Amino acid sequence: MIEKIKETVKKLFNEDKIDIFIGYGTGTLPLRTVPCFITSSGDIEKLVWNSYCFNNLAVYLPRFFLPQPQKKDVKLPRIGILAKGCDDRSIVGLIKENQIPRENIYIIGISCNGMIDVGKAQNYVCKMQEVEIISAEEKSGSILLEDEDKRKVELKKEDILADVCECCQYTNPLIYDVLIGEEVKKNKNEQQEAFIKEFEKKPLEERWKYFQEQASKCIRCYACRQACPNCYCKECFAEQTKPKWIGVTDNISDIMFFQIGRIFHQAGRCIDCGACVRACPMGIDLRIFTYKLIKDVKEFFGYEAGISLEEAPPLATFKSDDKQEFITEP
Amino acid sequence: MEKEKLKIIKKNDVLKFLDSLQKEYEVFMPVERNGDIQFSKFSSEKDFPWNYRNTKISPKEIFFPQSETLFSFKAEESALSSGSMIFKPEDEPEDSISENKNYLIFGIRPCDTLAFSLLDKLFGGDDFQDTYYMEKRSKATVISLACNKPQVTCFCTSLKGRPDNEEGADIILFDIGENILVRPITKKGEKFIESLSSWFEDAKEADIKKKNEIMVQSFQKIRSTADIQNIKEKLDKAFDISFWNEIHQKCLGCGICTYLCPTCYCFNITDEIERTAGSSTSSGGKRIRCWDSCMFSLFTMHASGHNPRPSYKERMRQRIMHKFNYCPENFKEIFCIGCGRCVRNCPVNLDLREMLILLMSFEEIKEDEKV
Amino acid sequence: MNNPYLPIPVTIKKITIENEARDIKTFDLEFNAKEDVEKFKYICGQFAEVSVLGIGESPIGIASSPMDEDLLQFTVKKYATGMVTSALHNLCPGDMIGVRGPYGNGFPVKEFEGSNLVIIGGGFAFTTLRSLIRYILHEKNRARFKDITVLYGARSPGELIYKSELNQWGERDNIKVYLTVDRGDESWNGRVGLVPNVLKDISPSSKNSVALICGPLIMVKYTMLPIMDLGFKPDKIFFSLEMRMKCGIGKCGRCNIGPKYVCKDGPVFTYKELQELPQEY
Repeated sequence: MIEKIKETVKKLFNEDKIDIFIGYGTGTLPLRTVPCFITSSGDIEKLVWNSYCFNNLAVYLPRFFLPQPQKKDVKLPRIGILAKGCDDRSIVGLIKENQIPRENIYIIGISCNGMIDVGKAQNYVCKMQEVEIISAEEKSGSILLEDEDKRKVELKKEDILADVCECCQYTNPLIYDVLIGEEVKKNKNEQQEAFIKEFEKKPLEERWKYFQEQASKCIRCYACRQACPNCYCKECFAEQTKPKWIGVTDNISDIMFFQIGRIFHQAGRCIDCGACVRACPMGIDLRIFTYKLIKDVKEFFGYEAGISLEEAPPLATFKSDDKQEFITEP
Repeated sequence: MEKEKLKIIKKNDVLKFLDSLQKEYEVFMPVERNGDIQFSKFSSEKDFPWNYRNTKISPKEIFFPQSETLFSFKAEESALSSGSMIFKPEDEPEDSISENKNYLIFGIRPCDTLAFSLLDKLFGGDDFQDTYYMEKRSKATVISLACNKPQVTCFCTSLKGRPDNEEGADIILFDIGENILVRPITKKGEKFIESLSSWFEDAKEADIKKKNEIMVQSFQKIRSTADIQNIKEKLDKAFDISFWNEIHQKCLGCGICTYLCPTCYCFNITDEIERTAGSSTSSGGKRIRCWDSCMFSLFTMHASGHNPRPSYKERMRQRIMHKFNYCPENFKEIFCIGCGRCVRNCPVNLDLREMLILLMSFEEIKEDEKV
Repeated sequence: MNNPYLPIPVTIKKITIENEARDIKTFDLEFNAKEDVEKFKYICGQFAEVSVLGIGESPIGIASSPMDEDLLQFTVKKYATGMVTSALHNLCPGDMIGVRGPYGNGFPVKEFEGSNLVIIGGGFAFTTLRSLIRYILHEKNRARFKDITVLYGARSPGELIYKSELNQWGERDNIKVYLTVDRGDESWNGRVGLVPNVLKDISPSSKNSVALICGPLIMVKYTMLPIMDLGFKPDKIFFSLEMRMKCGIGKCGRCNIGPKYVCKDGPVFTYKELQELPQEY
């Protein structure tokens, strides 16, 4: 697949269709890749494609199209981007919210059967990183790991797939300019559904307690917000001083307000790509909220984010028969 | 190494030892929490993780917590025209050391103690002393644990560190199997051991030999080395080079690298008001100091709207220059100890080591090539 | 150990509105405790962190001069986005605030002795220059300095601050004061023109002279051209810079330009020093 990607990118540069291409490059740690920005076909050898390409690259797009009122006649860059199903849905979301112009984005869609979770792989080798992974090699559905004590472990990719990939329904991108890869079967998400249903049944106190436990791990590093393609606000509500909605410390009620606020700002927009969970250094279970949010939006509005460029987002539209009970007499 | 001072304590006795100190000390040690190792107050239920590599968040959080109250203030009854607050400083804010106990930091890694000695230079400078940090620091006895097994991402020896570095600690321990070799470093450390001599035995030749063997192996295990001793000089002329134009592209602008870093210290000061429930007037409040990061976009934003560091490029450049050029200029020390936390935890695998190596080999830009 | 983060309580004695837009006010402050007066000995060009408890702190240049006994003045401009400046403007005489300081390096007044001074200010940034002028004009000090030329400009006549003082100075014969506005109005019969242009007209001599420039970035930038043309040496041109600050004592890592902290090594810098620092502003 990587050859096809390189070939396509080379062609795009040679035909002068793009100025920058965003893909994945080799990481410096085992089981990692880095986002790779190349500006000419001479650099295409830097590109890779494997089971460690889990970063959501769409997060980099808005910064190329920031409004520059002082500069006149700014020529907008043309960006090529490698998009898995999840990245693709993020791109669709950004286009619909006018953050990036469709005509300046060249989407190379790529089918994906999931990305691994580094933590899971490490836990197979040794918990708490007491023995670290030194090198990793991917070969036809298996990941061969070697650890510090020179022991070799072979893991099947399915065993260390990230949670978000295990239940992915969009293994093939829907909106693209060119598609690479054979169609991949959708995953079953019964496990995720069952988990959420179980959690929903729990009494309020128990659910709140779980939320509090998770939130108490937060150090307000904002990695979740920065990794999320939908969080492109120039000034986040969490840092506003006029008005000051919440404090900036790790006070538990400020953290909870931040987490609830940020996630609810994703209602109708979040696509459950898992970028926030992967970015969080403290291991907070954010997906229990993102998944529930998506489930609720689907139930209440029959809408799924990121799958159609034309469908209007539910929270930005109204119909004449919308419920009105919440409007009370002043 | 003076043999007379070296002692031994049995590994199995350590938890009991720490337990016995709780009356006099607030004991902090790394424990397993939420799937990671983090510094926490001692609890007899938690084992000491002898094979731990390093904590997620650096131990700077003990002396320089994520948030701490600087002082509190109350609103006075007599109505002032705008409800402005009367200031009643409480020199011992609630989150300060409880019951004036001393601190005992146990099992910290030698790179992190080196970080303490760097932060001491900043917070304990000649001009103004940061009383909050310095008070806790002066009340602390620091016992470090030398590294038998440096991590893949450790590059302490490329800077000032080493797996058995002694700077910043009072006592250093060596895990030599069933026993722990104990070496006092400072007078405070010596006194500490003397006052608790019943727990220790004299070290034997065999113990010292084993420790030396383990340390030699430990040094060899450091895979990550980079010739960056002269990074400060190299960066003197590096402000305008084209290197900065691309290196920032991957950065998300989160605060993980700065928050987890043992030597990053940028902070914010903010006031918080407490309101009595159901009332629109406030009863008082506090001034709090909390971690901040030069990587955040609003870090240097002026009220006028001007931001001297408007994009990721300037902020990334600031971070590297600050740690490897400005701090050496001001404190004669590079503010990096090579612990590798930033490398391991960066969500996009932006590797500081790689950046530094690239910078070292970046050719001097001639005048007419300046960007 | 002295806790450097504790503000000294002060009470507002008087508030003067300085400009037509009513967004610049001068606050006269009095220390609540007499001993604190001694703690707060300052020189011209320094600043203090002014606290409104419950809102926050803001670094403000000290507008009074060290010769003004028992008087501590700050001139504060209200910024729409500024929490502290907005809160300050809502206060009344009798209200209590806090000050921390004095911080910063201030103007090297000793170095100026025996020289001519060319003081150029724009808009609201004139505040610390005013402190310096008051100091120099004081009878105890005036003799140590040579000619003083002051050029002060604002956007419109209503925006000139310290109007009564400007008039007083204009009437003295040991100081030359040139006022200018970008746009005049019916009441104004003085000069109209941008500060850099008026400077070219006045053409003060750079021989044995020191230039001090404080103002909005764009004014400073364009004033530098005639200043350099007039022959002022880079180490004889002084600026007072502004930066976002929090601690004011060089610990929080925010206000640096290269290895220098604007709160500690500044805010007063010579042009020569700025040329050696990274061009990040």
